[in-house]
Amino acid sequence: MKRKLFLLVGCATFALIGACHDELDQVPIDPDLFTEVDVYKDATQAKSALAKVYASLVLTGQNGPAGQADISGIDEGFSQFSRMLFNLNELTTDHCVVGWGDPGLPNLHEMSWGSANDFTTAMYFRLSQVVSFSNSFISNAQTFASDAEVSSYIAEARFLRAYAYYNLMDLFANVPLVTEITTDLPEQSNRDAIFAFVEDELLEIQEQLKTPLSNEYGRVDQAAAWALLSRLYLNAESFTGANRYADAVTYSEKVINSAYSLNTADGNGNGSAYDELFLADNNQNGAQNEFIFVLNYDGIKSQTYGGTTFLVHAPLGGSMNPSEFGVNGGWSGYRTTSGLVQKFDYAITQNDNGGYPIAWNDGRAQFYTDGQNYEIQKIANTFEDGYALAKFRNVDVNGNQGSDTAGNFADTDLALIRLAEIYLNYAEASLRGGGGNAGTAVSLINELRNRAGATAISAGDLDLQFILDERSRELHWEGLRRTDLVRYGQFTTSTYLWPFKGGASNGKAVESYRNLFPLPDNVLLINTNLTQNPGY
Amino acid sequence: MIFMKKHAQLWVLFFLFIPVLSFAQIRVNGTVTSKDSGEPLPGVSIVVVGTVAGTSTDFDGVYSIEVEENTELQFSYVGFKTVTVPVSGSRLDVALEEDAAALDEVVIIGYGSVRKEDLTGTLDLVTSKDFNKGPVVSPQQLIQGKIAGVSIVTGGGAPGEGSNFLIRGIGSLNLNSNPLFVVDGVPLNDGGVGGTRNPLNLINPNDIEAISVLKDASATSIYGSRAANGVVLITTKKGKGGEFRYNFRSSASVYEPVNFIDVLTPTEFRNVVNTFGAADDIARLGQENTNWQDQIYSRAVGMDNTISATGALAGIPMRASMGTTNQDGVLNGDNFKRITGALNLTPSLLKNKLKLELNSRVSRTDNTFADRGAIWSANAFDPTQPIYDINSPFYAYTNSDGVDYGYYTYLNANGDYQLNLAPTNPVALLDLIDDQARINRFVGNIKADYALPWVSGLTLTVNAALDLSKSTGARITPNNIPTSSTGFDGSRSDYSNKATNRVFDAYANYKKELGKHRLDVTAGYAYQDFEFDNNSTNVVRILSGDGILDEDASINQSFIDKSKNVLLSYFGRMNYDFDGKYLFTATLRADASSKLNPNDRWGYFPSAAFAWNLHNEAFMENSGFNELKLRLGYGEVGNVNGLGDYNFLTRYVVSTTTAQYQFGDTFYRTFRPEPINENLKWEVGNTLNLGLDFSVLDARLSGTVNGYIRKTENLIATTVVDPFTNFGNTISANIGDMENKGMEFELNAVPVRTKDFEWSVNYNVAVNDNKITRLPDTQDVGGISGGVGNTVQRHQVGAEPFSFLVYKQVYDRWGNPIEGAYADINDDGKINSSDRYLYKSPYADVIMGFSTNFSYKNWDLSAVSRASIGNYMYNNVASTTALTSVFQNDILRNIHADYLRTGFNSFTETNLLSDHFIQNASFFRLDNVTLGYKFEKLVGKSDLRLYASGMNLLVITKYDGLDPEITGGIDNNFYPRPRTVVLGLDLNF
Repeated sequence: MKRKLFLLVGCATFALIGACHDELDQVPIDPDLFTEVDVYKDATQAKSALAKVYASLVLTGQNGPAGQADISGIDEGFSQFSRMLFNLNELTTDHCVVGWGDPGLPNLHEMSWGSANDFTTAMYFRLSQVVSFSNSFISNAQTFASDAEVSSYIAEARFLRAYAYYNLMDLFANVPLVTEITTDLPEQSNRDAIFAFVEDELLEIQEQLKTPLSNEYGRVDQAAAWALLSRLYLNAESFTGANRYADAVTYSEKVINSAYSLNTADGNGNGSAYDELFLADNNQNGAQNEFIFVLNYDGIKSQTYGGTTFLVHAPLGGSMNPSEFGVNGGWSGYRTTSGLVQKFDYAITQNDNGGYPIAWNDGRAQFYTDGQNYEIQKIANTFEDGYALAKFRNVDVNGNQGSDTAGNFADTDLALIRLAEIYLNYAEASLRGGGGNAGTAVSLINELRNRAGATAISAGDLDLQFILDERSRELHWEGLRRTDLVRYGQFTTSTYLWPFKGGASNGKAVESYRNLFPLPDNVLLINTNLTQNPGY
Repeated sequence: MIFMKKHAQLWVLFFLFIPVLSFAQIRVNGTVTSKDSGEPLPGVSIVVVGTVAGTSTDFDGVYSIEVEENTELQFSYVGFKTVTVPVSGSRLDVALEEDAAALDEVVIIGYGSVRKEDLTGTLDLVTSKDFNKGPVVSPQQLIQGKIAGVSIVTGGGAPGEGSNFLIRGIGSLNLNSNPLFVVDGVPLNDGGVGGTRNPLNLINPNDIEAISVLKDASATSIYGSRAANGVVLITTKKGKGGEFRYNFRSSASVYEPVNFIDVLTPTEFRNVVNTFGAADDIARLGQENTNWQDQIYSRAVGMDNTISATGALAGIPMRASMGTTNQDGVLNGDNFKRITGALNLTPSLLKNKLKLELNSRVSRTDNTFADRGAIWSANAFDPTQPIYDINSPFYAYTNSDGVDYGYYTYLNANGDYQLNLAPTNPVALLDLIDDQARINRFVGNIKADYALPWVSGLTLTVNAALDLSKSTGARITPNNIPTSSTGFDGSRSDYSNKATNRVFDAYANYKKELGKHRLDVTAGYAYQDFEFDNNSTNVVRILSGDGILDEDASINQSFIDKSKNVLLSYFGRMNYDFDGKYLFTATLRADASSKLNPNDRWGYFPSAAFAWNLHNEAFMENSGFNELKLRLGYGEVGNVNGLGDYNFLTRYVVSTTTAQYQFGDTFYRTFRPEPINENLKWEVGNTLNLGLDFSVLDARLSGTVNGYIRKTENLIATTVVDPFTNFGNTISANIGDMENKGMEFELNAVPVRTKDFEWSVNYNVAVNDNKITRLPDTQDVGGISGGVGNTVQRHQVGAEPFSFLVYKQVYDRWGNPIEGAYADINDDGKINSSDRYLYKSPYADVIMGFSTNFSYKNWDLSAVSRASIGNYMYNNVASTTALTSVFQNDILRNIHADYLRTGFNSFTETNLLSDHFIQNASFFRLDNVTLGYKFEKLVGKSDLRLYASGMNLLVITKYDGLDPEITGGIDNNFYPRPRTVVLGLDLNF
């Protein structure tokens, strides 16, 4: 009896031990965790994966507004794409200064960033991650490529990858060109190769993308590919040395002649149809027809500390009334330099006692001057020095706050490419010898000025410097300024100095290698195939 | 649930044994006394030789046991020589001889036990008589300062707070550096569930009999991958059979806040504002003088009671205990309540061939957390403002005249909301935020040792255990909390966490003696799984302008987080002993973890040790050594503790409802591919240990010296990857190597021992040197406050882990730091991040413990102290201090008084990271002084000891901040450790 029992126990024990070996093969049991099989089960599920490729430019992680960040090693709010684009392409220029002392941030306006700068590093990570996400989507979604809708998804993912590479080329130039998922350390590439890749991709996908304005709002169509080509060709000479202005004119025309149209609806009746582009209801107040590539925000469902939440809060301070901006308070950070204010000198209608302008006859001069000093004495930890800018708001045309009534997160969508830019691309490419028609160029620019309540120009006013200034007036704080100044040879040189350029109060030239940002130090350590950009 | 089912089957099998009892036995009774004093000895362990059956003496030294005829009984007792006596008749009185060397003491090791004399590994044993006295709520505190090379640092002064427990320095960069805790053979879960202050709070310290710490890999490697950072074995008190005896312990404590942050006084603050502020700033000064720290801290009290009973219930030896603890924290509103219950049964069946052990332990902890944001707020809040303000819309109270007062708040221009970025009134945070958690935990095991009747010396053991924790908690913020969120109508976060850890061990032990050869072999199998099931919901109510709930703007989210991992092992150990002189031990453990990919999943961790009992050699006979033992051991252990699950699988995580993306009119939750590492393998630590144990002068003087080198290879750490090759910029990977080497010395002495008076001393010192020996990619760690995303520490090859990375401050000739003046380390004419240098580390070079006991007749006096040398601290409270911090964002903010010394104007990255704020935090701390008196035979047989203790009585340090002893070396918003006075009683009846 005892022996039998013992045997029984023994057998049970060994059976148990055997069974437990299978237990080593654990798979996720978390209901929020999926495998490839679940995600690419059908076209409907795949759309949620496409949504992530878009969202990687819009948000910062899988928890809104913060949590489960896409990028580690930097404050999550800082890591949002358009916020970094703002910091690298606007804060480094005459458009902007910031009072915050976060490490690496003051270096941007001072033009003294190093190769370990948190912001240049995080941007490199963000854009390469968009590439990885796109590569993964493009490869996995092939299963459903015969589905017409999925074929558009794939083309859109290829557009997003091209957009990421366009920015990588513009900001860092010599990055690896990786178009498939791989764990092999990639080789370094260069601007010529990446330029060709972006161009080829955009040309190739234009047929697979939907026709202009026929896609869902928030997803790109053919016009986006043409518009990015227009931007690419305009900067071709600056990127590769080869002039492509004729192509710039061609693709600008394709966009201009498409279904997209300039917003001329002055919903709030303030005499300008320009400010509507930056309001909480810009997805439906008419502005949406101008947005060729737009990041969608929602104060409740798409929350982040970057995006327009950042663009509304961060430049809000001093005596500005937060409720007019549809938020609960400002972060008292960003202001303008007089370099930007001076672009509107032609339209001054009123000066204060000190002789500084406080009113302009141009709806795009949205400066807030009350309690602000025109000239900057001190940047750090102040808000008063430098005019504030009241461009992005979280209120609709009727002044009502966006959907987040707590006043934290903005609904305002953010256009990365809008039609007005293409008008200016056309004018500049044409003037630089790309063909086209000078009269058309003047009338396009006047369309922009007219809807903002500014005076019209004549053909005689049109020269390259005028267009650069007009781009500043129209597109300031929209992430294009550094690229424009580089193209004009004014970014690092003494040709154009603005307050605190190079850290000097009156501005000074800096090393020309700063036309490019450095590759991140920590990536160079890991991938020895890479060589640092010259100068760093 | 396959496992549970199988278990049920096993349990049924166990219970089938119970009716198979045998009665062909005789009963033996007797008394065990001390040969020297003649006093009866309670708790003497009596074992029937050749079996695992036995009993122990009761309080009067009396025992009773049923045995077969012609057997032998072995009597053993701590501090006495073990004797074996043949049974002859029903009466057997034994007088034990004192054995100062106490080498026969049996110590618990992994999956078994061994006589102390036969030990080959490095093990420190602290038994209840040497435990730290006083109101010890957490088991770790019992041995603080008692063991060389073991650093136990509490997380702060909160009641029931956990401790950072390090054995011989940190052995891992990212993984868990805490040791494995094993309670009565049950290895516990690594971490606690949500709402837990300390995972070990499950155990009432009064239930603990002994704690042994296994330090070197030859001792720990039988636990394989769970033992990477050492093993702490906790043995609880067991039932000894016989007549029921009771013990009641009670203590009352008073906690006094004694340390405060040195911020500007109201007068100093007014001076600064009046001197440097603009007119707007000066106008913001208030009329009051408020010491905000006085408002958040106050004296607290605590009570602790435990009652226990040991005896035999229906012939089964048992012990039961129940304890209650109720302790307030010095931060107003903080409270810790705990009820513990423990039951232990040790029945013997089948003529004592089958010995069962059942342990079950339950605890219920209720934590009320005071909001620690108040600590920061109290430092930053303007000391010229009142606590309450009639104009504040954030209601606090109504005074006797019916006038409503609110919490003073920096208001926006409309006066209806708090200004963005302003600190929140600390008193409001403490009064209003309701944050509570309840944790229920059960740890139980059933263990069966079966001495096979037909193979002499072979014992089979099966042990099944369950460790179950469940917590539920909620944090409720009412709508009158000062806030800048418009329409805020209160928020509530609820969470419930469940952690289930199942253990099943089966092993066989074979003991054989052949002449001078002794062999002891163990082989077995172990299975463990860990399952976590966490839920949380988060509700924020937002009202629209007309006061109606805004459904859209309000947040109502729920999260589920589940995971499971499995650890499966085979292990074996062989002890061979020749003539009590030469001892060999070899172990091998094979571990497989479900966290690793199938190809790298199995790790094999061997160890070998040799010990030479010199004192048993003939040539040492008259040397005067009671013990002289030389030990040499080498072992390897793996580590994946603290590593996330499924790192080798492609996983997609879905976004929450607040991180959706909109296409057209529809919002989509997005799928993100997670960073992946298919090549993760075991982090492996190997230790070489050379040790010497000695004991002389009738063991009045004994000690241990150890030297060790511990190398950790394939360190798992978070590292940057080329972002084009993965879905994130960092992954966990095996990237480096690290080395700890050191010396330890322990000395126990009894300088005076007379009939009435005894004085004993324990001193231990350890020197440890820790260095990263391979790390391709430096890692910035040690996040600090001030700016966003700043770090102050770095892991780098050739340096200690967590070394500070700072700018070198330049000082003027009076020794004051010059603002903005830093050494240009790389001589490039610029001060930038490449001028930061590695400077010191938070980990001590030398740690020491010193304790002493005096006893005179019925009086006892003991003191415990510790010292730490060469540990540095970054004072993050002072480093964020600069004049400009006072005036930011349209409010006034108080700063650290260090400003008066530095005069730093601006808060900049370089100022923040100046080495001026890295200070030597070496310290000496007098942890505990206890004075007691014992009344014997108070009523009948009962005795009573009364005692008074003072804890945290004295700290000597040059460090300027709040406390020199903060794990991680970053002093920021630390919960101050109070000074404690305790009165207690200990009654046996």
